[in-house]
Amino acid sequence: MNFEVEIGERVRAVGVVRKGTMLHVTIDGTTHIVDARRVGESALSLLVHADGAAQARSVDASFAQMPGGDLDVHVDGRVVSLQIRPAGSFGRQKKAGPGGSGSGPQRVVAPMPGKVVRVLVKPGDEVKARQGLVVVEAMKMENELKAARDGRVRDVSVREGQSVDAGAVLLVVE
Amino acid sequence: MKKVLIANRGEIAVRVIRACRDMGIATAAVYSECDRAALHVRFADEAWPVGPSAPRESYLRIDAIVDAARKAGADAVHPGYGFLAENEDFAAACRDAGLIFIGPSPEAITLMGSKTAARQVAIKAGVTVVPGTEEPLAESVSDAEVLEIASGIGYPLMLKAVAGGGGKGMRMVASAADLPGALRAARSEAQSAFGDGAVYLERRIMSPRHIEVQLLADHHGTVLPFVERECSIQRRHQKVVEESPSMVVSESLRRRMTSAAASVAKAVGYTNAGTIEFLLDEDGSFYFLEMNTRLQVEHPITEMVTGVDLVQWQIRIARGEKLTLDPEALLTPRAHAIECRIYAEDPDNGFLPSPGRIQGLRVPQGPGVRDDSGAYEGGEVPIFYDPMISKLVTWGETRDHAMQRMRRALAEYQVRGIRTTIPFFQWILEDEDFKAARFDTSFIDRKLGAPGRGPLYPIDAAHEDLATIAAAVQMFTKPVTNGAAAPVASRWRDAARVQALR
Repeated sequence: MNFEVEIGERVRAVGVVRKGTMLHVTIDGTTHIVDARRVGESALSLLVHADGAAQARSVDASFAQMPGGDLDVHVDGRVVSLQIRPAGSFGRQKKAGPGGSGSGPQRVVAPMPGKVVRVLVKPGDEVKARQGLVVVEAMKMENELKAARDGRVRDVSVREGQSVDAGAVLLVVE
Repeated sequence: MKKVLIANRGEIAVRVIRACRDMGIATAAVYSECDRAALHVRFADEAWPVGPSAPRESYLRIDAIVDAARKAGADAVHPGYGFLAENEDFAAACRDAGLIFIGPSPEAITLMGSKTAARQVAIKAGVTVVPGTEEPLAESVSDAEVLEIASGIGYPLMLKAVAGGGGKGMRMVASAADLPGALRAARSEAQSAFGDGAVYLERRIMSPRHIEVQLLADHHGTVLPFVERECSIQRRHQKVVEESPSMVVSESLRRRMTSAAASVAKAVGYTNAGTIEFLLDEDGSFYFLEMNTRLQVEHPITEMVTGVDLVQWQIRIARGEKLTLDPEALLTPRAHAIECRIYAEDPDNGFLPSPGRIQGLRVPQGPGVRDDSGAYEGGEVPIFYDPMISKLVTWGETRDHAMQRMRRALAEYQVRGIRTTIPFFQWILEDEDFKAARFDTSFIDRKLGAPGRGPLYPIDAAHEDLATIAAAVQMFTKPVTNGAAAPVASRWRDAARVQALR
């Protein structure tokens, strides 16, 4: 079975085949021979032999499917966020990250559920990159959301005091 | 004392329940709507609902909590930290209801709770304070007037809430141009956190360390200071790493700081646990900053290096017992302890809060490790409260040993399903300046603000490979949870639909 694994900007092809009790995992032409034991619904113990080596690295791995679509892999004391999908299953996914600094309108979204405590701009305002646009309070802290780049405020879809869900569009800068 | 009601939630409520249980005292928890299944409720002997999830409607409701204590038949109330812990009306309401408040008197809370009044107490006790305004600046004081006063103190300066604590309502102001914005933010935060928008100004000491002295004071006139805690590692004025002892406090400086702390406490007839915070300048001079009239978040590091259970002593003092601890032992640290405050925040996404369900949890164990937590596997981190989920403390024979154990413990710690600040601490523990104990209170903000900074703690190629292998094996072998073996591909189609809807 073939997968595509995306970490950051990099996409790699990964193949997995079962041979006897072992799994052969091939990344970019290198094959790792893996003895995998399930130790929980979202946890695996892996003994990984690098290409024919007798010595195995013991890897304790566990997983969490994150709300944004990432799979968080906890491995060796680190957390690696990645996306994995069967190869060619539905083409290249584009991450619709909020507030990217590319071109096109910037949709300023609530990063977490909370309350809008202040709206610092109004439609038509010219704003500079890094200028504060709206202040959202969550978990007792006030978080100021800033403009990613210079532009003009188009829509302001919230008012002060309003509760918002994670991902709600607060305003648009173009 | 037969039963204690704990007027708090989260890890500190669990901590107090443990102390009570160690002493054979029954415990009553209180909970808001979203905390019905929280760990402190599960741990307590009994639990009483006190209202909806918003703190103002539950954990800050003095009437509801005193009522719960009465119905529970509790004879004492422990306030923990935060919420009502430094609210003199709450302490007074407990006293009026015939309940023992496990903390200082309402009068001491009132006096030391006003940061400007506390400064005057310190001055009278012969302790130096940071130069600044001696009177509070109420919300009615105009920007122009504050600017006028500020120009007399000079920039940079610190703007602080009179009723403040925990870094809320505090701003550093670099120049006059920044003052109006900072004033607006500080007043608003102070108003919402403490119900009082008054602020004051202090000159900014350029490279200070934040050093604090824990105290216990009984009702028989004994005040005992403890070896200092080093709390300079702060993000946005919130402590994130603490250690004890401080590497820059000599034996003679320790004597001077702890006796200054004790004299401030004595000047107000202070009782129970409290902490005096100082700024330590590079030249070795120190300034009184404020007094916290409660148990501190970071109290476990003091417990680790002195062997004293501070919460038990709070209870014993409240029962009227005399302090029988050896004063010399309290000033002689046994080796070294470090604490990391684990927050439900995503360090790679501007430290945005990351509430949600904890899908999996593996807590570090083994020698020299202590984890004070309110989290459990399957539990929720609600959006309504402070995002701290645990305090990880390690003890070592030396500072290096404690740091080694902290690195090991952080690597063992898995909190799955939400993002946490664990990688942030792994990064700090690798920093050369931190390892050499070369830092001041601006350490984190300076390092995080460095231009051209990439990911905080980048993942190396080896870990990327291992994660890739593990993810592929997981997808290949994942058990199908509900009924018939649904083909893996259909889940991908579901995922694609969800993506398309975003």
